[in-house]
Amino acid sequence: MLEILIYGAVSSAIYAMLAVGFTLIFGVARILNLAHGAFYALGAYAAYVFTSLLNLPLFIAAPLAVLLVAGFGVLMERFLVRPLRASQLAVLMITLAVSLAVEQALFITFGSEYRNVPSFVADKISIGGVDIGGQRLLALVAGILVLLTLWLFIQRTRLGAAILAVSQDPEAAQYMGIPTNRIFSIVMAISAGTAALAGVLVSPFLTVQPTMGLLPMVKAFAIVIVGGLGSIPGSIIASLILGYSETIVAYLVSTSWTELVSLVAVVITLMIRPSGILGRRAAF
Amino acid sequence: MRQISLIDVAGGIAVVAVLALAPVFVASNYLTGVLTVCVIYGIWASSWDFMSGLTGRENFGHSLFIGAGAYTSGFMATIWFTNPWYSLPAAVVIAVIFSLIVGFPTLRLRGPYFALAMLSASAILQRLCLIFWEQTGGEEGLYGLDPLIRNPLHYYWFVLAVLVVTVIVLVLLAQSHWGLLLRAIRGDEATCQAAGINVTFYKIASLAISAAFAGLGGALYAHYQLQVSPPLFSVVVSITIIIMVYVGGIGSIYGAAIAAILLTLLTEMLRGFGEYRLWIYTLTLMLILFFLPNGLIAPLWRRMTERFR
Repeated sequence: MLEILIYGAVSSAIYAMLAVGFTLIFGVARILNLAHGAFYALGAYAAYVFTSLLNLPLFIAAPLAVLLVAGFGVLMERFLVRPLRASQLAVLMITLAVSLAVEQALFITFGSEYRNVPSFVADKISIGGVDIGGQRLLALVAGILVLLTLWLFIQRTRLGAAILAVSQDPEAAQYMGIPTNRIFSIVMAISAGTAALAGVLVSPFLTVQPTMGLLPMVKAFAIVIVGGLGSIPGSIIASLILGYSETIVAYLVSTSWTELVSLVAVVITLMIRPSGILGRRAAF
Repeated sequence: MRQISLIDVAGGIAVVAVLALAPVFVASNYLTGVLTVCVIYGIWASSWDFMSGLTGRENFGHSLFIGAGAYTSGFMATIWFTNPWYSLPAAVVIAVIFSLIVGFPTLRLRGPYFALAMLSASAILQRLCLIFWEQTGGEEGLYGLDPLIRNPLHYYWFVLAVLVVTVIVLVLLAQSHWGLLLRAIRGDEATCQAAGINVTFYKIASLAISAAFAGLGGALYAHYQLQVSPPLFSVVVSITIIIMVYVGGIGSIYGAAIAAILLTLLTEMLRGFGEYRLWIYTLTLMLILFFLPNGLIAPLWRRMTERFR
């Protein structure tokens, strides 16, 4: 029971890190970013390069990897997505093209074999008789911290208020003197950075491999639909729901059924409440 | 909307003639095989374009219908050992049933929600295929289907004929009152509803038609490969098809079919570039997105034939 509670929390935290960035860039800039999984994979590979090839210590490698991917996200938004923002399908296609290009670049540079990233915390920790890898626990703690920081940033700072304003009405925000385009860049940096951080944190215990971004991407999608596109609290609630239901299914049925949980959740949500748990009815 | 003119018919006949005669002049089984796959992709792309291109509901799970059709053939051939020809109508029926099951709950969704719902639906089916591996053969899939026609060249001609019929039927439908309504739904669904048009019926019916041809294409593919496996359901297949339609010019149907053939040929020719192949593919897509937002094939054909009208 406690096992389910702890492992569920870890998956939920990782999902939340992925989903919050994804929903943020959609909520603010209306960009449905299919390259979100690529950011996650790039984060994991950057961590691998910095630690295993360049022998940097982890506490330098991790922030470096996050910054690098955030920069990549900003460049993608500026030069590829922004010129095409008028058409929803074109944005979908260009971010898809980016994710294919990244996947293929990783494949060409590193090959398809699995890579290993050293753990930040190697020890196992025992909580009430349940053994859990320190790295998983770190991912849980980091996930909670990231979400808290993000929440404080958006609720308490001027920049956060500007982001909220743009998400409500970009045009009106622009008339009020908010530099909308710069806000898009900042939000893209946050979105790509959190996805990369999730990649860095899970890389020691998951397989680092070129196609690793696809599944988290589908998960982020699922969470964001269940929670409501553009709603951050919704994504967090949905992350908890999916993280826990997957863990429960894995324990009670089998791990091969876990993949279905999120997909079925998507279909049920779309049938009952298309805008998600906390989503507003958007006019598409 | 444009009517079909004599020059369009002439162009169509020319393209079909080139496609039909190519393997006769370059007698190689390899080329015939490649062209067969090209033409099957043409069927898939034009069927996608009929529903999504006209109504503007981007279906990111077209592989659902393709896989359903292909697996129907697979089951019929390996479990019930029926005459392979029966599997074509069966695949159509099963794909249509799937489209009704998926269409009713999802088609009232708009924009990205519909795309994502279809994507999830196809992913669910792929996953189920792996979970029930005892019935579906799991990763390996089903082997040993009977070929429809033993001679590869004759099979290629048969598949080409199916593509021609598909494109003609879909283009005529798109040019009819039906197509006009579908385009109107794309423009403003609420107004259509207010005008007393049964929007739901038209959307579901167009998805069913789209699925029928996709399922037929899936069955043709299964009988070409003589096996079916879970990648047929994958998102990659759906996305490849969308890219093809985009390059062809969304909503044109014939452009989608030609782009599918050309792009499949291109990927085959790029095989020599090995790992860099997908990069070239992606780069082509990016260039087209930036410089030809309306696609390549259909706008090009319109411009070329402007003077003859």
